[in-house]
Amino acid sequence: MNEIAVITNKVNPSLHIWGWEVPVYLFLGGLTAGILIIVSLMFLGKKEKEYSFASYKMALYAPIIMTIGMGALFLDLKHKLFVWRFYTTFNLASPMSWGSWVLLIIYPFSVLLIFATIRKGYPKYNEWIEQLLSKINFVLKIYKWLLEFSERNVRTIAAITMPFAILLGIYTGVLLSAFSARPFWNSPLMGPIFLVSGLSTAAAMVILLAKDHKEKEFFTKIDLGLIFTEITFLVLFIIGLTTSSIQYQKAADLILGGKLTPVFWVFVFGFALIIPAFLEILELKGKKIPSAYAALLVLIGGLILRFIIVDAGQTSGWLPY
Amino acid sequence: MKKNIYSNPYLAGVGLGIVMLLAFTIIGTGLGASGAMMRTVVAVEKVVSQEHVDNNFYLAKYGGGDKNPLDFWLIFAILGTFAGGLISGALSGRLKKETNKGPRISIKKRWVFAFIGGALFGIGTKLARGCTSSVALCGGATLDLGSWIIMLCIFAGAYMTAYFVRKLWI
Amino acid sequence: MFAPISIMTDMSKEMVLLIYFFIGIGFGFFLERGGLGNSKVMALQFYFRNMTVFKVMFTAIITGMTGLILLNAVGWLDLGSIYMNKSFLWPGIVGGLVMGVGFAVGGYCPGTSIVGLSTLKMDALFYILGSLFGMFIFGETVPYFEKFFKSGLMADNGTITIQKYFGMSSGLVAFIVIIIALLGFWGSEKVEKYFRDKETKNEIV
Repeated sequence: MNEIAVITNKVNPSLHIWGWEVPVYLFLGGLTAGILIIVSLMFLGKKEKEYSFASYKMALYAPIIMTIGMGALFLDLKHKLFVWRFYTTFNLASPMSWGSWVLLIIYPFSVLLIFATIRKGYPKYNEWIEQLLSKINFVLKIYKWLLEFSERNVRTIAAITMPFAILLGIYTGVLLSAFSARPFWNSPLMGPIFLVSGLSTAAAMVILLAKDHKEKEFFTKIDLGLIFTEITFLVLFIIGLTTSSIQYQKAADLILGGKLTPVFWVFVFGFALIIPAFLEILELKGKKIPSAYAALLVLIGGLILRFIIVDAGQTSGWLPY
Repeated sequence: MKKNIYSNPYLAGVGLGIVMLLAFTIIGTGLGASGAMMRTVVAVEKVVSQEHVDNNFYLAKYGGGDKNPLDFWLIFAILGTFAGGLISGALSGRLKKETNKGPRISIKKRWVFAFIGGALFGIGTKLARGCTSSVALCGGATLDLGSWIIMLCIFAGAYMTAYFVRKLWI
Repeated sequence: MFAPISIMTDMSKEMVLLIYFFIGIGFGFFLERGGLGNSKVMALQFYFRNMTVFKVMFTAIITGMTGLILLNAVGWLDLGSIYMNKSFLWPGIVGGLVMGVGFAVGGYCPGTSIVGLSTLKMDALFYILGSLFGMFIFGETVPYFEKFFKSGLMADNGTITIQKYFGMSSGLVAFIVIIIALLGFWGSEKVEKYFRDKETKNEIV
């Protein structure tokens, strides 16, 4: 009796306790990854003159959004004091562990990206900071040196940030797929889906916040491509589930006729993917459509996607439910 | 004239009639909008106090015990209605942030009156157990006597009020 | 007889919800097409300036009605298994009149306000907030007038068709409705033209 109880606890951890915190964390983590990838790509591709918001203003959002996301995760952790343990043991097989290390690298580099862009992106903030620091000459000097250093080496910083940002994006999905006890999550496509979705939400953020019309249009095109990639991945994901063993098929049933079918197709495919794609196509064709509309749907849809996937995974299991 | 940009009302009416007919033949019920709104209200109240919902015979019907008020077809019908309006508006270039109003009223005042009108309609629709979509349109097509009486009352109420609120519109 | 399909085929609840989404799309699409997502179009109905509401609504009613009668006549649709709202006469009349007042003041009804919101009409947003507030008030206070709310149940089970009540055939009632609608359409065009001419005259002067 005892033995059985121990085994099922390992294979089938009681995960059905994740509330809103984890999906929000995954969403904001993906968004941060998307932002950093876009900013890095702008500098690596030398597009910073053409697309000023994505290059100079966007980096500031990355650490802020990531911090909010970490806050949400922190609320979810039962043993808050043990967070540091992720860092004391580096376990390659545990995505929780390498995810934490990725974050540890992402933070300073996103700050360096801000240093590299603040003078052009937010001259007023910079002036304010310099004024604040002017009382202590020594600190001001360091700050100015950091700015110049970052500006000079912006492409190197971008080149280092980029792979880690991609890892972060994939990590938000792999975190789920590592739970082998949850057939709905246990798919190699989970990482790519979350990465593409994160990129798409970040592109939507540019569309929402950029002022320049050309920049909006460019990112509308990018977002459209990302949406179609995401649709492809999701379709492959569903095919993958249905052609696997019985547990996976049962998990797929959740969205193919089962309990979560209406929400999945209406919100994820309908409002988060097809309708924004439809609006973006019309917009690129020259119809008068407020670009914020599709962008907001993509952002809200990205959040809902994570809610539904987290929920579906918790409902699916190896044992009869 | 601005109204000319909309399509022919008779064609739109035929389209609407066919959609309604599809609802009747596929599912066997009509359409409705107010039910979804009421369910949203109950869902919020349920979060605040389950006990309060349980103790009210009317609210309990929607969300008593472990009933989920949002798990109902009306919710999906209204989500579809939103998507349909969005699709048609986008195709015709009518997605535009604006406030429609008469020439003699400010935008802020229009918002206040929209809220008041909505509140009255909300009370009326629950009292009569249906709104224009479910009672007037679907009840009208099924030739339900009670629905026709309510429909005539809606129009009567509106025409009787119109003169007194003409500053809002003309 | 094969309809209503969901009842005949024992369709799962999830499928019904999904189908309702698509039916809703059609509903919103044609409401927007017809201009009913615009409160100005709606409200001008009550000043005889713009008869769109009447035209759309009655074309829809006679289309749906004719379709139902025909499908029933050829034996494809079981009218008996179609769900109909229960009507309670007294709250129905009072509720209808209150709705009418709300319609003239607010310029929308619930379904069209959703369409208005989807096309970013800000007045529709406030209308919806108002509706939610009104329904909240109703839900909180209805226990105090429960007796009135449940008074005047029509017929025995709450639903009775016009033809049954007056002892006529459904074909005859449908015919009368169509005639009234056609007369209404004819009158609508006349009265719209009258106000258009008046407006252009005013502009010239």
